[in-house]
Amino acid sequence: MLFLQLLLGGLQTGALYALTACGFALIFGATKVFHFAHGASFTLAGYLFLLMWNNGYPAWLGVLAAILVATGFGVAMERFVYRPIQRHEGGFFTVFVAAFGVSLVVQNLVGMWAGRGFVVADSTLSRATEVLPEVFLAPVFWVSLAVAAVLFLALGLFLTRHPAGVALRALAQNSDLIRAYGLSSHRLSLLAFALGSALAAPAAVLTAITTGMNEAVGHHVMLISMAATIVGGVGSLKGAALAGLSLGVAESVVLNFADPQWAEAASFVVLFGFILFRPSGLFGHAVAR
Amino acid sequence: MTAYLANLATLAAIFGILAATLNVAVGYAGIFSVAHAVFFGLGAYAGAQLALLLVPDALLAMLVAALVAGGLSLCLALPALRVRGEYFVAASLGLQMMATTLFTEAKGLTGGMGGLVGIPRPMVLGFEVPTLALALAALVLILLATWLMARGSFGRTLRAIRDAESAAEALGKNINAAKALAVAFACAGAGVAGALFALHMSFVNVESFTLDQSVLVMAMVIVGGTGTLWGPLLGAVLLLSLPAGLSFLPFIPPTEIGAVQQIIYGAAMTLLMIFRPAGLLGDMRTGRKA
Amino acid sequence: MSGATHPLVCRDLSISFGGVKAVQGVSLALPTGKVLALVGPNGAGKTTLFNLITGNLRADAGEATLDDESLIGLKPWQVARRGVARSFQDLRLFTHMTVRENALAATERGSWFWQTGDAKARAARVEAALEATGLSSLAESRAVDLAYAERKFLSMARILAAEARIWLLDEPASGLDLASRIRFAALLRAATARSVTICLIEHNLDVVAELADEIAFLDRGVVLAVGEPQAILRDKALAAIYFGERVA
Repeated sequence: MLFLQLLLGGLQTGALYALTACGFALIFGATKVFHFAHGASFTLAGYLFLLMWNNGYPAWLGVLAAILVATGFGVAMERFVYRPIQRHEGGFFTVFVAAFGVSLVVQNLVGMWAGRGFVVADSTLSRATEVLPEVFLAPVFWVSLAVAAVLFLALGLFLTRHPAGVALRALAQNSDLIRAYGLSSHRLSLLAFALGSALAAPAAVLTAITTGMNEAVGHHVMLISMAATIVGGVGSLKGAALAGLSLGVAESVVLNFADPQWAEAASFVVLFGFILFRPSGLFGHAVAR
Repeated sequence: MTAYLANLATLAAIFGILAATLNVAVGYAGIFSVAHAVFFGLGAYAGAQLALLLVPDALLAMLVAALVAGGLSLCLALPALRVRGEYFVAASLGLQMMATTLFTEAKGLTGGMGGLVGIPRPMVLGFEVPTLALALAALVLILLATWLMARGSFGRTLRAIRDAESAAEALGKNINAAKALAVAFACAGAGVAGALFALHMSFVNVESFTLDQSVLVMAMVIVGGTGTLWGPLLGAVLLLSLPAGLSFLPFIPPTEIGAVQQIIYGAAMTLLMIFRPAGLLGDMRTGRKA
Repeated sequence: MSGATHPLVCRDLSISFGGVKAVQGVSLALPTGKVLALVGPNGAGKTTLFNLITGNLRADAGEATLDDESLIGLKPWQVARRGVARSFQDLRLFTHMTVRENALAATERGSWFWQTGDAKARAARVEAALEATGLSSLAESRAVDLAYAERKFLSMARILAAEARIWLLDEPASGLDLASRIRFAALLRAATARSVTICLIEHNLDVVAELADEIAFLDRGVVLAVGEPQAILRDKALAAIYFGERVA
């Protein structure tokens, strides 16, 4: 029954990875910015929720604050870091280094302020009960799956029905096209950052309730999002979400066969293999070369 | 105090080698590796094992380290030949994460978390020599080699590939060979630095070869200035003296020095990229497109 | 159509991209020491043809030979080392290198840390190429700092320095003012006098009439006609295709 337990745990982690990865893929697809500080949005959202929760604020307020801080951070990055760099034609590495610098700052500031190591928001949602012999599930499992499902549905509707969503998808496919139609790519890229970063917040809150946060969690989440985006195929949100889910499941199920330290490495073996042999990913069309 | 300064100088020379060789990949060939610590580690383990099991000969240790790291640089060259840009950074990150796990788990070769201890003092031709002298000599040789390379035809080939790969190829340049050679040189250099590090510390474990270390070396190159001769060295000295300098500031608790250091160089990386992407010593005109 | 009189020959070259036949069954032979102009509306497959010859694209079918030796399957750098040089419509200069370094890079073929051969002869070739393109006084300027016409001439200087026997030039004269065009024409004449074989893509029919010894007219991946410039340029049916497509 250990396997089933791990599988279910993996599904929950995977659903949250899928949300974060999808946010990263949305930003990368629409703006071509490799938002390496995406993990910092996650960290900030999770810790702000923890702070408010532990100080007795109602949960909905904490969630709202988490979404706001994640979105605000993403928008600020676009406005104050990426756009100035792109204005003087900085290459992708300039962008990457700048983003990496910010994520280092956030990680260490959070570590200094909130202490290092894991902090969990204690909640009745995370009390596990035995649903099958030797299989334990907490309500947060169902909440996570439901939140992911609802958000993906909403995102899908937005991207196919709302004009701004359609424009975002078009931007991902062909940025020249957008300019030709006279749509403001500035505002669209702000929208991509806001939306993509907001997707990290619910995942962060649920992680804070389940396994808890540490100051370096953003780093891990970021690497997973990046791996999922590439494995899924750049430009394909569906691919990123699916790959995120699979990576979460794989990371958990691997525990059935190997020691925990191999779990993360397994994701990177997959990533490395994809880059070498199928750089366009599962659902991508464009080949990287 | 002399011992303290000698230690700092030796580390500066070792990290100077690391930064200078990473600069060959990043600054000249446009191969943005975030896995330099992997090859530093390979060299350190190779050099340490040689000294522990066979002879503590420093020259032999450096040679073996260079061969091991240079040979395994193929792991980095392969993705460099197939993909570019973000994809390559992702691949090198993946390599770094896998290597960290391998270093931790291959206990027979690396000693795992406990590391390799009791590495004997380095000898050259049967005489014990201070690591500072060795490290400085290696640094000078590697800087000389990069300088010769940068101003010679190979450096020109790399810069041509960086600026316009298809045009370089259309002029008869074997791009894959040039890139693989640049990566092999950079990684072999990191291996030499690793052997020196192992002999100097007489103890190595995986903590010196993690992503954080790769990022530190990358920050050295970037803060100093990519594609310049002295920039990486300046970056190495600056970033290495940072923790030493911070420890003199009374209002920072000693436990937070590591974090403050990371905040400072994280912020420095971001601000430099926004306002001076060419680095401190970089030519502003050429730094625009990294 | 081969050997001494026509060093570079294409036979039935074809390639399609996702169902679109970009080049279909193109057969052409470049006569030694002559200028062949490829003319045709946008999207006719002219640059694609270059890419097929230089190994940037792999032909679905057909053959391209240099001195009766097949070029198909060779890498671009291998084709270049056999003496085929090309320019790009978007130039692709080594932007952060100086003018002299751009030309010098074109003379260096080895990928090792050193170069074989006579370094002095290479340096002399570079200076001659800069002289011929009028860039000697700008030798230490970076390519990115040059004016438009100078950039175009730098692209030519690289080809001159490469000492190739075959030149494939993609719109080398577009956007040049009259004085520059005269200088450019002199460059080509000096090259053909040395038996360099040239194929150029050009939209300006005045330039074509002035420089070309032969014209090949392409439309939608097919060679519609090959012949003397006057005959092709006077052909009303071809003119209709050319200008009709241009207006639409």
